[in-house]
Amino acid sequence: MSCAGDTHCITCSDEGVPMRVLEVQPDGIARCEADGTESDVMVDLVAPVARGDNVLVHAGVALARLA
Amino acid sequence: MRYVDEYRDAALGRVLAGEIVATVEAGREYKIMEVCGGHTHTIYKYGVDDLLPANVELVHGPGCPVCVIPMGRVDDAIAVAHVPGVIFTCFGDMMRVPGGSGTLLDAKARGADVRMVYSPLDALRIARENPDREVVFFAVGFETTAPSTALTLKRAKAEGTPNFSCFSNHVTIVPPLRALLESPDLRLDGFIGPGHVSTVVGARPFEFIPADYGKPVVISGFEPLDLLQSVYMVLRQLVEGRCEVENQYARVVPADGNPAALAVLEEVFELRPHFEWRGLGFISHSGLKLSEAYAELDAELRFEIPGVRVADPKACQCGEVLKGVIKPWECKVFGTACTPERPIGTCMVSSEGACAAYYNYGRFAREREVV
Repeated sequence: MSCAGDTHCITCSDEGVPMRVLEVQPDGIARCEADGTESDVMVDLVAPVARGDNVLVHAGVALARLA
Repeated sequence: MRYVDEYRDAALGRVLAGEIVATVEAGREYKIMEVCGGHTHTIYKYGVDDLLPANVELVHGPGCPVCVIPMGRVDDAIAVAHVPGVIFTCFGDMMRVPGGSGTLLDAKARGADVRMVYSPLDALRIARENPDREVVFFAVGFETTAPSTALTLKRAKAEGTPNFSCFSNHVTIVPPLRALLESPDLRLDGFIGPGHVSTVVGARPFEFIPADYGKPVVISGFEPLDLLQSVYMVLRQLVEGRCEVENQYARVVPADGNPAALAVLEEVFELRPHFEWRGLGFISHSGLKLSEAYAELDAELRFEIPGVRVADPKACQCGEVLKGVIKPWECKVFGTACTPERPIGTCMVSSEGACAAYYNYGRFAREREVV
Protein backbone atom coordinates (compact mmCIF):
# COMPACT_ATOMS: atom_id res chain seq x y z
CA MET A 1 0.00 0.00 0.00
CA SER A 2 2.94 2.30 -0.35
CA CYS A 3 3.09 5.03 -2.92
CA ALA A 4 3.92 3.03 -6.03
CA GLY A 5 2.07 5.19 -8.56
CA ASP A 6 3.92 7.47 -10.88
CA THR A 7 2.11 10.69 -10.14
CA HIS A 8 0.93 10.80 -6.55
CA CYS A 9 0.34 8.80 -3.42
CA ILE A 10 -3.12 7.30 -3.49
CA THR A 11 -3.22 6.16 0.10
CA CYS A 12 -2.28 8.97 2.42
CA SER A 13 -4.46 11.56 0.65
CA ASP A 14 -2.22 14.33 1.92
CA GLU A 15 -1.14 15.32 -1.52
CA GLY A 16 -2.34 18.07 -3.79
CA VAL A 17 -3.56 16.88 -7.17
CA PRO A 18 -4.43 19.25 -10.04
CA MET A 19 -7.87 18.19 -11.33
CA ARG A 20 -10.24 19.44 -14.03
CA VAL A 21 -13.89 20.11 -13.29
CA LEU A 22 -16.21 17.94 -15.41
CA GLU A 23 -19.59 18.71 -13.90
CA VAL A 24 -20.79 20.93 -11.06
CA GLN A 25 -23.59 19.57 -8.88
CA PRO A 26 -25.91 21.81 -6.85
CA ASP A 27 -24.68 20.64 -3.43
CA GLY A 28 -21.19 22.17 -3.63
CA ILE A 29 -19.71 18.99 -5.06
CA ALA A 30 -18.17 18.68 -8.50
CA ARG A 31 -17.19 15.66 -10.54
CA CYS A 32 -13.49 16.16 -11.30
CA GLU A 33 -10.90 14.29 -13.34
CA ALA A 34 -7.13 13.80 -13.29
CA ASP A 35 -5.21 11.35 -15.46
CA GLY A 36 -8.42 9.57 -16.44
CA THR A 37 -9.55 9.04 -12.84
CA GLU A 38 -12.79 10.72 -11.76
CA SER A 39 -13.87 11.59 -8.24
CA ASP A 40 -16.31 13.77 -6.32
CA VAL A 41 -14.68 16.90 -4.94
CA MET A 42 -16.04 19.50 -2.51
CA VAL A 43 -15.65 22.87 -4.24
CA ASP A 44 -17.13 25.12 -1.51
CA LEU A 45 -13.78 26.83 -0.88
CA VAL A 46 -13.16 27.87 -4.49
CA ALA A 47 -16.76 28.52 -5.56
CA PRO A 48 -18.03 29.30 -8.06
CA VAL A 49 -16.39 26.85 -10.45
CA ALA A 50 -17.46 25.84 -13.92
CA ARG A 51 -16.82 22.94 -16.24
CA GLY A 52 -13.25 23.08 -17.53
CA ASP A 53 -11.79 24.94 -14.53
CA ASN A 54 -8.61 23.52 -13.00
CA VAL A 55 -8.41 23.16 -9.22
CA LEU A 56 -5.91 21.83 -6.70
CA VAL A 57 -7.51 19.00 -4.74
CA HIS A 58 -6.47 17.77 -1.31
CA ALA A 59 -8.25 14.85 0.37
CA GLY A 60 -11.44 15.45 -1.60
CA VAL A 61 -11.59 19.23 -1.28
CA ALA A 62 -10.48 21.85 -3.80
CA LEU A 63 -8.19 24.25 -1.92
CA ALA A 64 -7.15 26.54 -4.74
CA ARG A 65 -8.07 27.44 -8.26
CA LEU A 66 -5.29 27.05 -10.83
CA ALA A 67 -5.11 29.97 -13.24
CA MET B 1 -0.57 16.62 -17.59
CA ARG B 2 -0.92 20.38 -17.40
CA TYR B 3 0.59 22.03 -14.27
CA VAL B 4 2.80 18.96 -13.85
CA ASP B 5 4.81 18.11 -16.98
CA GLU B 6 6.24 21.59 -17.46
CA TYR B 7 7.73 21.44 -13.96
CA ARG B 8 9.63 18.21 -14.69
CA ASP B 9 11.73 19.48 -17.62
CA ALA B 10 15.19 17.91 -17.26
CA ALA B 11 16.99 20.53 -19.37
CA LEU B 12 15.60 23.36 -17.24
CA GLY B 13 16.55 21.37 -14.15
CA ARG B 14 20.16 21.23 -15.27
CA VAL B 15 20.14 25.00 -15.85
CA LEU B 16 18.83 25.61 -12.33
CA ALA B 17 21.36 23.16 -10.88
CA GLY B 18 24.11 25.11 -12.65
CA GLU B 19 22.84 28.38 -11.16
CA ILE B 20 22.86 26.80 -7.70
CA VAL B 21 26.47 25.68 -8.15
CA ALA B 22 27.38 29.20 -9.30
CA THR B 23 25.62 30.76 -6.28
CA VAL B 24 27.11 28.86 -3.34
CA GLU B 25 30.26 30.13 -1.69
CA ALA B 26 33.10 27.63 -1.44
CA GLY B 27 33.92 26.62 2.12
CA ARG B 28 30.49 27.54 3.45
CA GLU B 29 28.05 24.81 4.52
CA TYR B 30 24.32 25.27 3.87
CA LYS B 31 21.67 23.27 5.74
CA ILE B 32 18.14 23.78 4.46
CA MET B 33 15.08 22.08 5.95
CA GLU B 34 12.19 21.12 3.70
CA VAL B 35 9.31 21.22 6.16
CA CYS B 36 6.81 19.18 4.20
CA GLY B 37 6.89 15.43 3.68
CA GLY B 38 5.61 15.89 0.15
CA HIS B 39 8.81 17.79 -0.63
CA THR B 40 10.92 14.98 0.86
CA HIS B 41 9.14 12.51 -1.39
CA THR B 42 9.75 14.61 -4.53
CA ILE B 43 13.42 15.17 -3.66
CA TYR B 44 14.15 11.44 -3.57
CA LYS B 45 11.78 10.37 -6.29
CA TYR B 46 13.48 12.73 -8.76
CA GLY B 47 16.98 12.73 -7.31
CA VAL B 48 16.90 16.48 -6.69
CA ASP B 49 19.58 16.27 -3.98
CA ASP B 50 22.02 14.63 -6.43
CA LEU B 51 21.98 17.86 -8.44
CA LEU B 52 23.11 19.93 -5.45
CA PRO B 53 26.70 20.78 -4.53
CA ALA B 54 28.24 18.78 -1.67
CA ASN B 55 28.05 21.74 0.72
CA VAL B 56 24.27 22.08 0.35
CA GLU B 57 22.43 19.63 2.60
CA LEU B 58 18.68 19.10 2.69
CA VAL B 59 17.29 18.26 6.13
CA HIS B 60 13.86 16.66 6.38
CA GLY B 61 11.29 18.32 8.59
CA PRO B 62 8.24 17.30 10.63
CA GLY B 63 5.62 17.91 7.95
CA CYS B 64 4.39 14.37 7.33
CA PRO B 65 0.99 14.03 9.00
CA VAL B 66 1.30 10.29 9.46
CA CYS B 67 4.81 10.47 10.92
CA VAL B 68 3.94 12.83 13.75
CA ILE B 69 1.02 10.81 15.19
CA PRO B 70 2.03 9.45 18.61
CA MET B 71 1.51 5.74 19.25
CA GLY B 72 -1.04 6.38 21.98
CA ARG B 73 -3.47 8.04 19.56
CA VAL B 74 -3.26 4.98 17.30
CA ASP B 75 -4.10 2.78 20.30
CA ASP B 76 -7.04 5.09 21.08
CA ALA B 77 -8.20 4.70 17.47
CA ILE B 78 -7.93 0.91 17.71
CA ALA B 79 -10.00 0.97 20.91
CA VAL B 80 -12.78 2.89 19.12
CA ALA B 81 -12.54 0.57 16.09
CA HIS B 82 -13.22 -2.42 18.37
CA VAL B 83 -16.41 -0.91 19.83
CA PRO B 84 -19.29 -3.17 18.64
CA GLY B 85 -21.23 -1.66 15.75
CA VAL B 86 -18.51 0.81 14.76
CA ILE B 87 -17.26 1.23 11.21
CA PHE B 88 -13.87 2.92 11.59
CA THR B 89 -12.66 4.84 8.53
CA CYS B 90 -9.23 6.28 7.84
CA PHE B 91 -6.73 7.12 5.12
CA GLY B 92 -4.78 4.11 3.89
CA ASP B 93 -1.43 4.90 5.45
CA MET B 94 -2.94 5.25 8.89
CA MET B 95 -3.93 1.59 8.80
CA ARG B 96 -0.27 0.57 8.93
CA VAL B 97 0.96 2.94 11.67
CA PRO B 98 1.97 0.85 14.67
CA GLY B 99 0.51 1.69 18.05
CA GLY B 100 1.59 0.03 21.27
CA SER B 101 -0.64 -2.95 20.48
CA GLY B 102 -0.47 -3.37 16.72
CA THR B 103 -1.99 -1.45 13.83
CA LEU B 104 -5.50 -0.71 12.61
CA LEU B 105 -4.82 -3.36 9.95
CA ASP B 106 -4.19 -5.86 12.76
CA ALA B 107 -7.43 -4.70 14.40
CA LYS B 108 -9.22 -5.35 11.09
CA ALA B 109 -7.71 -8.83 10.98
CA ARG B 110 -9.05 -9.41 14.50
CA GLY B 111 -12.57 -8.53 13.38
CA ALA B 112 -12.89 -4.75 13.69
CA ASP B 113 -14.63 -3.10 10.72
CA VAL B 114 -11.85 -0.78 9.56
CA ARG B 115 -12.24 0.74 6.10
CA MET B 116 -9.89 2.84 3.99
CA VAL B 117 -11.29 6.03 2.48
CA TYR B 118 -9.79 8.62 0.16
CA SER B 119 -11.61 11.55 1.69
CA PRO B 120 -13.80 12.23 4.73
CA LEU B 121 -16.71 12.67 2.30
CA ASP B 122 -16.41 8.92 1.57
CA ALA B 123 -16.72 8.26 5.31
CA LEU B 124 -19.89 10.39 5.46
CA ARG B 125 -21.32 8.43 2.52
CA ILE B 126 -20.64 5.18 4.41
CA ALA B 127 -22.53 6.66 7.38
CA ARG B 128 -25.53 7.50 5.19
CA GLU B 129 -25.51 3.98 3.73
CA ASN B 130 -25.28 2.34 7.18
CA PRO B 131 -27.74 4.22 9.40
CA ASP B 132 -27.73 1.43 12.01
CA ARG B 133 -23.94 1.61 12.48
CA GLU B 134 -21.70 4.24 14.09
CA VAL B 135 -19.22 5.54 11.51
CA VAL B 136 -16.07 7.22 12.84
CA PHE B 137 -13.56 9.10 10.69
CA PHE B 138 -9.94 9.11 11.93
CA ALA B 139 -8.92 12.64 10.91
CA VAL B 140 -5.20 13.33 10.55
CA GLY B 141 -3.24 15.99 8.77
CA PHE B 142 -2.20 19.62 8.73
CA GLU B 143 -4.12 22.63 7.42
CA THR B 144 -4.22 20.88 4.04
CA THR B 145 -6.56 18.09 5.09
CA ALA B 146 -8.34 19.86 7.96
CA PRO B 147 -10.60 21.88 5.57
CA SER B 148 -11.80 18.65 4.00
CA THR B 149 -12.73 17.28 7.43
CA ALA B 150 -14.32 20.59 8.39
CA LEU B 151 -16.50 20.79 5.26
CA THR B 152 -17.56 17.17 5.73
CA LEU B 153 -18.56 17.87 9.35
CA LYS B 154 -20.54 20.92 8.19
CA ARG B 155 -22.39 18.70 5.73
CA ALA B 156 -22.98 16.02 8.37
CA LYS B 157 -24.40 18.61 10.76
CA ALA B 158 -26.56 20.30 8.11
CA GLU B 159 -28.06 17.08 6.80
CA GLY B 160 -28.28 15.50 10.27
CA THR B 161 -26.30 12.27 9.99
CA PRO B 162 -26.43 11.26 13.67
CA ASN B 163 -24.31 8.11 13.26
CA PHE B 164 -21.25 10.00 11.93
CA SER B 165 -18.44 11.30 14.14
CA CYS B 166 -14.84 12.43 13.85
CA PHE B 167 -11.80 11.45 15.92
CA SER B 168 -9.73 14.57 15.28
CA ASN B 169 -5.95 14.44 15.25
CA HIS B 170 -5.51 17.47 13.05
CA VAL B 171 -2.45 19.57 13.75
CA THR B 172 -1.12 22.96 12.72
CA ILE B 173 2.29 23.59 11.21
CA VAL B 174 3.51 26.77 12.91
CA PRO B 175 3.82 25.54 16.55
CA PRO B 176 6.14 22.58 15.71
CA LEU B 177 8.28 24.87 13.55
CA ARG B 178 8.65 27.23 16.48
CA ALA B 179 9.44 24.26 18.75
CA LEU B 180 12.08 23.08 16.28
CA LEU B 181 13.64 26.53 16.07
CA GLU B 182 13.86 26.61 19.87
CA SER B 183 15.58 23.20 19.90
CA PRO B 184 19.20 23.62 21.07
CA ASP B 185 20.61 20.86 18.86
CA LEU B 186 19.20 22.29 15.64
CA ARG B 187 21.56 23.79 13.07
CA LEU B 188 19.70 25.18 10.08
CA ASP B 189 20.32 28.03 7.66
CA GLY B 190 16.91 28.26 6.01
CA PHE B 191 13.57 26.65 5.25
CA ILE B 192 11.64 25.43 2.24
CA GLY B 193 8.10 26.22 3.37
CA PRO B 194 5.07 23.96 2.89
CA GLY B 195 3.28 24.80 -0.35
CA HIS B 196 -0.15 23.33 0.17
CA VAL B 197 -0.50 24.31 3.82
CA SER B 198 0.18 27.81 2.54
CA THR B 199 -2.68 27.63 0.02
CA VAL B 200 -4.85 27.60 3.15
CA VAL B 201 -2.96 29.74 5.68
CA GLY B 202 -1.07 31.99 3.25
CA ALA B 203 2.53 33.16 3.53
CA ARG B 204 2.17 35.49 6.53
CA PRO B 205 2.19 32.86 9.32
CA PHE B 206 5.81 32.07 8.43
CA GLU B 207 7.05 35.63 8.84
CA PHE B 208 8.12 34.91 12.43
CA ILE B 209 10.94 32.71 11.09
CA PRO B 210 12.94 35.55 9.48
CA ALA B 211 11.68 38.09 12.04
CA ASP B 212 12.42 36.15 15.24
CA TYR B 213 15.07 33.65 14.14
CA GLY B 214 16.78 35.39 11.21
CA LYS B 215 16.33 32.54 8.76
CA PRO B 216 15.00 32.69 5.19
CA VAL B 217 11.85 30.86 4.10
CA VAL B 218 10.81 30.05 0.54
CA ILE B 219 7.33 28.56 0.08
CA SER B 220 7.67 25.91 -2.58
CA GLY B 221 5.69 23.82 -5.03
CA PHE B 222 6.03 20.06 -5.23
CA GLU B 223 7.51 19.36 -8.64
CA PRO B 224 11.27 18.85 -9.06
CA LEU B 225 11.80 22.23 -10.76
CA ASP B 226 9.85 23.92 -7.96
CA LEU B 227 12.22 22.46 -5.38
CA LEU B 228 15.37 23.28 -7.32
CA GLN B 229 14.19 26.86 -7.75
CA SER B 230 13.29 27.10 -4.06
CA VAL B 231 16.72 25.84 -3.00
CA TYR B 232 18.22 28.44 -5.33
CA MET B 233 16.04 31.19 -3.81
CA VAL B 234 17.02 30.22 -0.22
CA LEU B 235 20.71 30.19 -1.22
CA ARG B 236 20.38 33.62 -2.90
CA GLN B 237 18.95 35.05 0.31
CA LEU B 238 21.80 33.55 2.33
CA VAL B 239 24.50 34.71 -0.06
CA GLU B 240 23.01 38.22 -0.27
CA GLY B 241 22.54 38.38 3.51
CA ARG B 242 18.76 38.72 3.26
CA CYS B 243 16.14 36.84 5.23
CA GLU B 244 12.47 37.05 4.35
CA VAL B 245 9.50 34.91 3.30
CA GLU B 246 9.46 34.43 -0.47
CA ASN B 247 6.78 32.62 -2.45
CA GLN B 248 8.08 30.37 -5.22
CA TYR B 249 4.64 28.73 -5.52
CA ALA B 250 2.75 31.89 -6.46
CA ARG B 251 0.79 30.00 -9.11
CA VAL B 252 -1.16 28.37 -6.26
CA VAL B 253 -0.39 30.20 -2.99
CA PRO B 254 -1.96 33.65 -2.43
CA ALA B 255 -0.36 35.82 0.27
CA ASP B 256 -3.53 35.62 2.39
CA GLY B 257 -4.24 31.93 1.79
CA ASN B 258 -7.83 30.82 1.31
CA PRO B 259 -10.11 32.94 3.55
CA ALA B 260 -13.08 30.59 3.02
CA ALA B 261 -10.97 27.65 4.23
CA LEU B 262 -9.74 29.60 7.26
CA ALA B 263 -13.33 30.56 8.09
CA VAL B 264 -14.57 26.96 8.02
CA LEU B 265 -11.60 25.83 10.15
CA GLU B 266 -12.42 28.56 12.65
CA GLU B 267 -16.05 27.47 12.77
CA VAL B 268 -15.53 23.71 13.11
CA PHE B 269 -12.33 23.42 15.14
CA GLU B 270 -10.69 24.96 18.18
CA LEU B 271 -7.12 24.67 19.44
CA ARG B 272 -6.30 22.11 22.11
CA PRO B 273 -4.19 23.42 24.99
CA HIS B 274 -1.58 20.72 24.23
CA PHE B 275 -1.09 17.96 21.70
CA GLU B 276 1.55 15.25 21.66
CA TRP B 277 3.81 14.93 18.61
CA ARG B 278 5.85 11.89 17.88
CA GLY B 279 9.47 12.65 18.68
CA LEU B 280 8.73 16.28 19.56
CA GLY B 281 6.69 15.76 22.74
CA PHE B 282 3.77 17.96 23.82
CA ILE B 283 3.48 21.24 21.94
CA SER B 284 1.08 23.97 23.11
CA HIS B 285 -1.80 25.00 20.85
CA SER B 286 -0.70 22.69 18.06
CA GLY B 287 -3.68 20.33 17.76
CA LEU B 288 -7.28 20.86 16.68
CA LYS B 289 -10.40 19.46 18.30
CA LEU B 290 -14.01 19.95 17.35
CA SER B 291 -15.53 23.22 18.55
CA GLU B 292 -18.48 23.45 20.92
CA ALA B 293 -20.83 23.91 17.98
CA TYR B 294 -19.74 20.54 16.59
CA ALA B 295 -19.44 18.65 19.87
CA GLU B 296 -22.28 16.31 18.85
CA LEU B 297 -20.01 14.97 16.08
CA ASP B 298 -16.93 14.58 18.29
CA ALA B 299 -15.94 10.92 18.63
CA GLU B 300 -13.89 11.80 21.71
CA LEU B 301 -17.13 12.75 23.46
CA ARG B 302 -19.28 10.00 21.94
CA PHE B 303 -16.94 7.11 22.79
CA GLU B 304 -14.81 6.27 25.75
CA ILE B 305 -11.27 7.07 24.61
CA PRO B 306 -8.66 5.29 26.73
CA GLY B 307 -6.19 8.20 26.38
CA VAL B 308 -3.30 5.81 26.01
CA ARG B 309 0.23 7.15 26.40
CA VAL B 310 2.94 4.98 24.89
CA ALA B 311 6.65 5.73 24.86
CA ASP B 312 8.23 5.42 21.41
CA PRO B 313 10.15 2.14 20.93
CA LYS B 314 13.71 2.52 22.21
CA ALA B 315 15.25 1.31 18.96
CA CYS B 316 13.30 3.83 16.89
CA GLN B 317 14.85 7.24 16.26
CA CYS B 318 11.94 8.86 14.42
CA GLY B 319 12.20 11.83 16.78
CA GLU B 320 15.75 12.65 15.74
CA VAL B 321 14.86 12.09 12.09
CA LEU B 322 11.86 14.43 12.41
CA LYS B 323 14.07 17.12 13.93
CA GLY B 324 16.66 16.64 11.20
CA VAL B 325 19.30 15.72 13.79
CA ILE B 326 20.11 12.40 12.11
CA LYS B 327 19.63 11.06 8.59
CA PRO B 328 17.32 8.04 8.22
CA TRP B 329 20.22 5.66 7.50
CA GLU B 330 21.84 6.68 10.77
CA CYS B 331 18.96 5.08 12.73
CA LYS B 332 19.94 1.74 14.21
CA VAL B 333 16.97 -0.14 12.75
CA PHE B 334 16.73 1.57 9.32
CA GLY B 335 16.33 -0.97 6.53
CA THR B 336 16.85 -3.95 8.84
CA ALA B 337 14.24 -4.31 11.57
CA CYS B 338 12.32 -1.29 10.21
CA THR B 339 11.16 -1.43 6.58
CA PRO B 340 8.05 -0.12 4.74
CA GLU B 341 6.59 -3.65 4.87
CA ARG B 342 7.15 -3.94 8.65
CA PRO B 343 7.64 -0.44 10.01
CA ILE B 344 8.66 0.20 13.61
CA GLY B 345 8.54 3.97 13.33
CA THR B 346 6.06 6.24 11.60
CA CYS B 347 8.68 7.78 9.29
CA MET B 348 8.87 4.41 7.53
CA VAL B 349 5.10 4.13 7.04
CA SER B 350 3.99 7.02 4.92
CA SER B 351 5.42 7.58 1.46
CA GLU B 352 6.01 11.14 2.68
CA GLY B 353 8.10 9.90 5.60
CA ALA B 354 11.82 10.57 5.31
CA CYS B 355 12.78 6.97 6.11
CA ALA B 356 10.36 5.50 3.56
CA ALA B 357 11.61 7.97 0.93
CA TYR B 358 15.23 6.98 1.58
CA TYR B 359 14.37 3.28 1.61
CA ASN B 360 12.12 3.26 -1.47
CA TYR B 361 14.59 5.23 -3.59
CA GLY B 362 17.65 3.24 -2.55
CA ARG B 363 19.37 5.85 -0.36
CA PHE B 364 21.27 3.45 1.85
CA ALA B 365 24.68 4.91 1.05
CA ARG B 366 26.34 7.10 3.63
CA GLU B 367 28.03 9.26 1.04
CA ARG B 368 25.88 11.23 -1.36
CA GLU B 369 26.85 10.99 -4.99
CA VAL B 370 27.40 14.50 -6.22
CA VAL B 371 27.51 15.38 -9.90
